[in-house]
This record gives sequence, structure tokens and C-alpha cells, in this order.
Amino acid sequence: MHNFKKGGGTQQMEILSVQDLNKRYEKFALKNVSFSLEKGYIMGFIGRNGAGKTTTLKTLLNLVHADSGAIRVLGEDFANNELAIKQKVGAVFGGVHYYPKKKLKTITSVTKRFYAEWDEGAYERYVKRFDLDPEKKVYELSDGMKVKYALALALSHHAQLLILDEPTSGLDPVSRDDLLELFQELIEDGEKSILFSTHITSDLEKCADYITYIRNGEIIASADKERFLNDYQIVKGTKEQFSEEVSSKLIGYKKNSFGFTGLIKTADLPVDGHIDLSPADLETIMIYCEKE
Amino acid sequence: MKDLLYKEFKLAIHPTAFIFLSLSALLLIPSYPYYIAFIYTDLAVFFIFLLGRENQDALFSVSLPVRKRDTVKARCYVIVLIELAQIILAIPFAIIGSRINPNPLGNLAGIEANVAFFGFVFIMYALFNGIYLPMFYKSAYKAGMPLVFASAAIAAYIAALEVAVQSIPFLKTYLDTWETGMLSRQIPILVVGIGIYAVCMWLTYRKAAKNFETVDL
Repeated sequence: MHNFKKGGGTQQMEILSVQDLNKRYEKFALKNVSFSLEKGYIMGFIGRNGAGKTTTLKTLLNLVHADSGAIRVLGEDFANNELAIKQKVGAVFGGVHYYPKKKLKTITSVTKRFYAEWDEGAYERYVKRFDLDPEKKVYELSDGMKVKYALALALSHHAQLLILDEPTSGLDPVSRDDLLELFQELIEDGEKSILFSTHITSDLEKCADYITYIRNGEIIASADKERFLNDYQIVKGTKEQFSEEVSSKLIGYKKNSFGFTGLIKTADLPVDGHIDLSPADLETIMIYCEKE
Repeated sequence: MKDLLYKEFKLAIHPTAFIFLSLSALLLIPSYPYYIAFIYTDLAVFFIFLLGRENQDALFSVSLPVRKRDTVKARCYVIVLIELAQIILAIPFAIIGSRINPNPLGNLAGIEANVAFFGFVFIMYALFNGIYLPMFYKSAYKAGMPLVFASAAIAAYIAALEVAVQSIPFLKTYLDTWETGMLSRQIPILVVGIGIYAVCMWLTYRKAAKNFETVDL
């Protein structure tokens, strides 16, 4: 795993630090999950379905208990400061799946009591921006609207760290774009950070500063996006160019009638022959890494 | 805790918890196994957990900035409030019922709803809560099996009590009566019942909270 820092941030700038998180299930395990996020940035958490994204995010909030590992939020140890830290964290897991027969205004009236810094004005602005009707019941909302309602709750108590699990899935393209813009606005003051998991990699191309990639419970990479992307190249060649040396260096490849397309680590360049190289995008990196 | 209780009342409590309180009036029936009126309370408790399971209450509550064990504590307070309300509401019905009972021998179907009886009800509640809550919080979603065990326990408890009171002469004389002369025998049972209930509820909370701590949501 490589772990690069942007701008050489100091310890005080760190809003989230995860060290050697382990959680073993019968058929799946999180293995030494480590990454960190500094104030004022957006980190995209990518991985396939079942790679461990939600489990990791739930572990950060103690909804799932890690077997070992340390989590620090805003410089504080989570285990010893759970209450204070939860006030500073906004979490969204997919959408609102609780109390489907209750009205949004009822759930809001309960939720807001728990937050010392609840901002009714901000909440009303988000309700308007997301076009939510407080008189509606949760089950009457589409999946996308459920996510928006969950976000409105999470954003209205001045959270410094937002932990969002698949916040963009289920949203239409316009809402997704609006949400990504909102994320950018939120981190503008340099005090807040967002960690969000997704498998819609184009969202991250638009707004993420860092990428953390989890595969089968292990972090493959956690780096700033440019470095992460620069670390890989797409190679294209003819059948004849698919030599043993080339294939041994490829992370993954696909063959077709003309030749092959594959992914290679920039560090493993050059390779023999005049093979076409082009920059890799997140989706391509994910697809070929999963073929490894 | 105030906010968690607000959440319980606003979202979590099943309406039967309030409706079943009216079943304290069953104590007006001249001949009736009066424990039944209080078994309904436990049924209402079960409905709260069932409703909570269907509404993902545990995940919602724990996602809020609260300690996990405090969500259990709030639920325990709610249960105590409902059980105490059921008992307090039952007292006037017990008194009126005994006055208007046309049977010269009083309740022909079991123990009189007297002071000792209420002591036994406290112990019955303690038994139900002590089994149901720690068992439920082992998974935070299996609401049915704990009910089977807790119901079996209170059924056995009631059966044993009724058999003892009806078949052992001195228990029948001391406990199955409204005679004020027997109050000196019955009041200690009430006091002990309340004591057992209080201690058991505290232990129940501790055990349930401990079980819930280890649950992954």
C-alpha cells in the first residue's frame, strides 16, 4: 500500500486517522485498514460491492466493533470520546431506512434534540434545496429523496467530518451534480472534510481530492487523486506485442481479436516494443485491478 | 436521557402500550386469573421491540450522539413506566372489584387481587424483563424467541404460585383474602416484590446493555 500526503499536512490538520483496523467475519475480513484524511478535503472511498466499504465506515462510528485498530477523529481517540465526536460527525448510510411510516418532520423533531449545534436555518435551506416535503412519510420518498433527507439531517448540525456511504447512488444526474457541488462548497472553509464511498467513479473524478481503494477487505491504495491516477497507465498493443515480459507486468488485461488492452503500474515502465500508453481513469484502474 | 425518552415516546412506543393499560379494568371481573391483566403489559413490551425491529430503531438510536448503553437505559425506563402505570391503574379496580364481587367466596379462579398479589406481580414483571431484555439485546433483532422463554417462565411462575396459594392451607389463609388482619402477612410480600423488581431491573439493564455493546449493527 502507498500512502501519500498532500501538501505535507501536520498532525493538527488531521481530521480522521484510521490505523490497522481489523474485523474478522466467517467469510470476510477487514485486514489492517489504515488511512487518514486532513481537514478541508474530500476523500472518495472506492471498491466493489462487498469489498468492505460499508463495514469500514460503520466501524468508524462504532456501529460495528473492530477486533483491533485505532480510530482518531479531530485528534481525539474515538473509543474514549464517542459522545463528543458523534456531535462533530455527520453520517449517512445510503438513506433513511428507519421509521418508514413516520413523517419527516417527526423524525427531524426527534433528531435535532440530540445535537448541541443544530442549525434550524441550515436545515430549512437544505429541505428547500433538496425539494423535500416535511409532511411526507419516509416510505413515500424515492431512494434518491431518502438519501437527500438523510443528508439534510447530517448537514444541519455543523458536522466537521461527513461520513457518507453511497450518497450519490439512486440520485438522478442533476441531483448528483448538485450534491457534488455542495460537497465542494462545504469544504471551502478548510475546516470540514468528507469521506464518501461510492462505486460511481465519475463522481470522484469531479470532486475528490484523495482516493482510498479497498479490495476484499484490504486497502490497495490511499493517495491523492492525481498521484493515484498517475500511478497507472493504460497500455494497448497488438497480439504480437503481448510478450511474456509485458503480460507479467500487467495488473490486468483484456484480449480481443486485434490485440490487448491492459493496466500497468507507471513504475513498471518502460516495457519492450512500441506499445500505446494512455492515462488511466478511476474506472479503468478499478476494473483491471479487480482482474489481478 | 430526556431526549432519548422523547424519542421513545415520539417514535418507538407501540400504541398497545397505552391501550393495554385499560386492561387493568379486568380486575373488576368477579372470578378471573388476575395475573392475565398484567401479562398484557408484557405483550405490549414485546410489541415495542417488534415495532423497533421493523423500524430499525436500534440503528437509528445508536447513530445519534448517544452512548449505546443509554439507548438500553431509555428503553428500560419506558418499560418501568408502563409496568408501574399498569399497577397503579389496577389498584382502584382491585379495590372496587373486591367490593362489588357478588361471589361470597371472592375470586373463584385464582388469588384475590390484594396486597400480596401486587407483590407477586412485581416479581412476575422482574422475571419477564430479566429474561426478555438481555436476550433481545444479544441480537437486537430477534424479538420472538426471548418472548417464548420469558412467557414460559412467567407461566410457570404463575402456575406455581396459584397452585401453592390454593393448595397449601396457610398460604390460602394468609394470602388469598381481603381480610385486613392478614395485611401484616401480605405487606412484606409487596415490599419484597418491589425490592426484587428494583434490584432485578437494575441488573437487567446492566446485562442487556452489556449484551448490546457487542452487537454489530
